[in-house]
Amino acid sequence: MAEVILKHIVKAYAGGPRVIRDLSIDVKDREFVVLVGPSGCGKSTLLRMIAGLEDITSGDLLLDGQRINNLAPKDRDIAMVFQNYALYPHMTVYDNMAFGLKLRNMPKDEIRQRVTRAAQILEIEFLLDRKPKDMSGGQRQRVAIGRAIVREPKVFLFDEPLSNLDAKLRGQTRIELQKLHRDLQATMIYVTHDQVEAMTLGDRIVVLRNGEVMQYDTPLALYNQPANRFVAGFIGSPPMNFLPGRILMVGATLCFQSAGSTVQIGLNNSIHYAALIPYEDRTVVLGIRAEHLMDLVMNGQRPYYSPDTRTVLEAVEHMGSETLAYFTLEGQRFIARLSGDTVVDMNKSIPLFWDIDKAHFFDAETEQAIR
Amino acid sequence: MKKWTPYLLVSPYLLHVVVFVLFPVVFSVVLTFHSWNIISPMQYVGLANYERLFKDRLFWQAIWNTVRFLLVHIPLQILIALALAELLNRTRRGAGLFRAAFFLPVIVSGVVVTILWQQLLSFNSGLLNQLLTAIALPRVAWLDDPAVAMYSIAVMATWKNVGLYVILFLVGLQSVPEQYYEAADMEGATNWQKFRYITLPIINPTIFTVVVLSTISGFSLFIEPYIMTEGGPMNTTLSAVMYIYKQAFQYYHMGYSATLGFCFALIILFVVVVQKRYVEQDI
Repeated sequence: MAEVILKHIVKAYAGGPRVIRDLSIDVKDREFVVLVGPSGCGKSTLLRMIAGLEDITSGDLLLDGQRINNLAPKDRDIAMVFQNYALYPHMTVYDNMAFGLKLRNMPKDEIRQRVTRAAQILEIEFLLDRKPKDMSGGQRQRVAIGRAIVREPKVFLFDEPLSNLDAKLRGQTRIELQKLHRDLQATMIYVTHDQVEAMTLGDRIVVLRNGEVMQYDTPLALYNQPANRFVAGFIGSPPMNFLPGRILMVGATLCFQSAGSTVQIGLNNSIHYAALIPYEDRTVVLGIRAEHLMDLVMNGQRPYYSPDTRTVLEAVEHMGSETLAYFTLEGQRFIARLSGDTVVDMNKSIPLFWDIDKAHFFDAETEQAIR
Repeated sequence: MKKWTPYLLVSPYLLHVVVFVLFPVVFSVVLTFHSWNIISPMQYVGLANYERLFKDRLFWQAIWNTVRFLLVHIPLQILIALALAELLNRTRRGAGLFRAAFFLPVIVSGVVVTILWQQLLSFNSGLLNQLLTAIALPRVAWLDDPAVAMYSIAVMATWKNVGLYVILFLVGLQSVPEQYYEAADMEGATNWQKFRYITLPIINPTIFTVVVLSTISGFSLFIEPYIMTEGGPMNTTLSAVMYIYKQAFQYYHMGYSATLGFCFALIILFVVVVQKRYVEQDI
């Protein structure tokens, strides 16, 4: 069992602002939770507080029901993988992995067993006699994970462990981390600024901004039901498109009107529909993902509500499997994800259809989702 | 003209090397095979100077004196410098003041420092002996007791030079990434274990530099015994360099002095190579 609970955690530096403001989350046993947010949002600080490397100003940190605020890092039974790996340069891989066990006066045979087993899991047995400087970034990264594994801790903490790897290796390592989590059946808390990493690794994701939890939910819930405009813009690649406008009642139908066009909000969009009624005559922000803007090729399967969006594209990226089209709409930067087959003539304007049922609406002032 | 421009440009430095490095080295090697008192012409004596050197008990005593000095001076210097650097590294308030204070003796003239310490160590009126008397301990003949004098000088030289090595160690300590210590904290290392298993190995290159620098500067020990004890009592503080100096400029045995200097340089070279073999570790 390893359940981590944070209750009303606050972190403030002397004379400085609050980096973490009244934050409460729970991490269940064997769960993989990712803390994600832009730089300076407090995610690393939070992780270091769980590790015991930073003091907690107020609030409670519970591990399996026991308050561990004042426990020294070594007594918390938590292992951490650092961003720069923090492998001791003068020790071989074996010594790096065995160091913590030696400090605990574990019998030599058991140390050898544990290190060998971890090396097998990570496929780094052939590296055991090397020193960190003789290894690639990816290999060092594995060793850093190995050093955490041999301790057999209750909780693993990862501080942006993939950020020093190249894109290809990052992709591979992501998959291996998933597998590792399944094999070890351990509780893991993982910090990253990369939303793709967060989406692919996390059972649940904590989206942080300025030391506050914006939303704490599963990856798909964050994607499909963002709680506010920040989460909507942060999760998903390319980012969600936003367009400010007003809610109007035209006849018996609710419409969204922006400077250039008016769109009917269909009854299909039933969650939003009821919630939007009180917003009549008020400003809201419409959010629509790139894949919900369609050209003719994808159209025709279902009726789409469409503002009269004939637009001249500014840039097109042909990715093969998809085509990303960039344009400006009423001063807002828009990206549409079109079919890979789309052939676009940059000089002609093309019609784009909006799957308005998939659109999100946000309160213009509070930025909270309307639903 | 163009062809000669590069040579013209390096000529000032070349001139310096030839006049002040190459010529003296070659000349002193030539000297070792001659007898010369500066005034009368040189006389070729073959290996006579080397023969004399091996039989010269005073020279070997001077070497032994210097080694005794180093055996106290180097470990003391490293221990104190490392301890002070470690403390400075943790000090937030007034760190600049302490750094300056520790470094001050390094830039003060050796003669001034020596005279100052001569007062401190004086048998009758020195501060140190007054302190001893105050706590009812017998006075010590710091500079007059053959068994003690060289060690007193070693302590003094340490005081004078330690600031330089504090700075070197401080640079070394500050270059150790904080994450190593954090990782060690998570592993459960005590402060001593962190120092022993992480700090020491990582600053090993600095330790090596300090050992070599203080060995070379220690071997050239001269001013301190020259002013404080003139090599006494009973030649126990006669350092190798001082003996070479005396042979050259008191007795005008230039040839023999050059021979001593040449052998002494070989000894220093040997010691440094041995140190490189055993102290320096690859990280």
